[in-house]
Amino acid sequence: MNRKEFLADCGKKGLAGVALSLFPWLESCSEKAQQEVKGEKARIGMIGTGSRGLYHIKNLLRMPNVEMVALCDDYRPHLENAAQYYPNAKLYDDYRKLLEDKSVDGVIVTTPLYLHGRITMDALRAGKRVFCEKSMAFTLDEALDVYNCRKEMNGVLLIGQQRLFDPKYARAMQMIHEGKIGKVVGVRNYWYRNNDWRREVPSPELERRINWRLYSEYSRGLMTELACHHLQNGSWAMGMLPEKVMGSGSLLHWNKDGRDVYDAVSAIFTYPNGVNMTFESIISNKHFGMGEQILGTEGTIDLVTCMRYTDEPAPKGSGMHQLVAQIENGVMSNSVFAGTSWAAETSSLAPGIPIMDNVTISTGESTVGAEADGSIEIMEAFVHAVITGKQPEKVLEESYYATQFALLADKAMHENAILTLDEKYRVPYEPMK
Amino acid sequence: MKDTIITAGAKRRELWILLACFVVANMVNWYAIIRFAAPWYEIFTQIGYVVVTTLVFYLLILILRLAQKLIVYLKQK
Repeated sequence: MNRKEFLADCGKKGLAGVALSLFPWLESCSEKAQQEVKGEKARIGMIGTGSRGLYHIKNLLRMPNVEMVALCDDYRPHLENAAQYYPNAKLYDDYRKLLEDKSVDGVIVTTPLYLHGRITMDALRAGKRVFCEKSMAFTLDEALDVYNCRKEMNGVLLIGQQRLFDPKYARAMQMIHEGKIGKVVGVRNYWYRNNDWRREVPSPELERRINWRLYSEYSRGLMTELACHHLQNGSWAMGMLPEKVMGSGSLLHWNKDGRDVYDAVSAIFTYPNGVNMTFESIISNKHFGMGEQILGTEGTIDLVTCMRYTDEPAPKGSGMHQLVAQIENGVMSNSVFAGTSWAAETSSLAPGIPIMDNVTISTGESTVGAEADGSIEIMEAFVHAVITGKQPEKVLEESYYATQFALLADKAMHENAILTLDEKYRVPYEPMK
Repeated sequence: MKDTIITAGAKRRELWILLACFVVANMVNWYAIIRFAAPWYEIFTQIGYVVVTTLVFYLLILILRLAQKLIVYLKQK
């Protein structure tokens, strides 16, 4: 099944009924939903026109029912750059002015993290439908405030957890929930890069504005920028939320340029059933790239490469074969002449089975955004929500908890503690399975 | 080159040894079937391995017999 077929299935009955009951938020990407908004326009304003904003603009340009009516940034070169794509859009340098603009129905927030919560809440209160980049907020309290504000205003809010809209992830999750890899016993995530994570700065006074990701005043570093995606996958696969988190972070290699967020982190999230989810990120070695692996008793799914590996034992030989093999093994294992007396159990070389055909695999190297990673689908869903005013089901809670656990892990690293999410931050959560 | 005479007794002895090896090889196969819970039809399907095992046993016994004869010959000298 390829991406188109899977999405087409979402609009049909039979298997599609199963898919949609598992992933109701994908309904807005279905053929039927797209027909519903055909000929209508979503009038959108974008706040924050840096690299991620431009990435979304390039996706939005492909969508005929989008009218970009306003752009906002307090950094003029970024604003002018974005304006080239939408010459008719009104330009603002203060987001509050954009929110007062009655011609704007929906707002895309692609600012530095520390501004997400404030702008999102102001936009919701101004009656705008909002798409905000992940993570949802800068602090645990602020994330809860954003969640409650959306509820209070009965507005539309989507957070940029695009994997939720990536058909290959949806298909993989469907297989996991159907038990294709047996009981899930581990979730392993890593994201390795070998670059300094810096953007070019035209003059020194702009350092913190442009490289905001590197400073704890504006960012929570690798946990909110990278781990947030993986943590959301973990809960999606497990169908539950982690119970506790511990972690360790250090400023290991890129520590001479004044940054104060960790460049190497490891975190362990434990689920109520004892399963551990790990996340590790190092940005001074990229050998293993990015990995999101769901480990089951009968197989493994690598979400990044879109492959399933089975743990089925190799077919046994005849009794005589096995006897000979046992004798041979006994003889060989006793012939120790020097060094260790054990053989390392290296990873299986068994070829995997593709989960879907014709998929684009992301290496995780791009610091702006990947191809075909659900970003177009999530934008389609947002455009649909702007026109219809319908909040897609379940995704906000999923994004909320991804943010909370990313922030909690960062806190655990700084406090050198094992932390649980306080009851006051709990919001109604319906597992996606 | 001289003609070699193999007596009927020698032939009979070799055949008995070969038969004994074949029986032992079959017993090894039965043991393997029980030990590894393999299907009993392997008594027939694994006959090739049984024959090979028979020949291996026969060769081992032959080597032992030749070694014994060599030791006896050296002692008599």
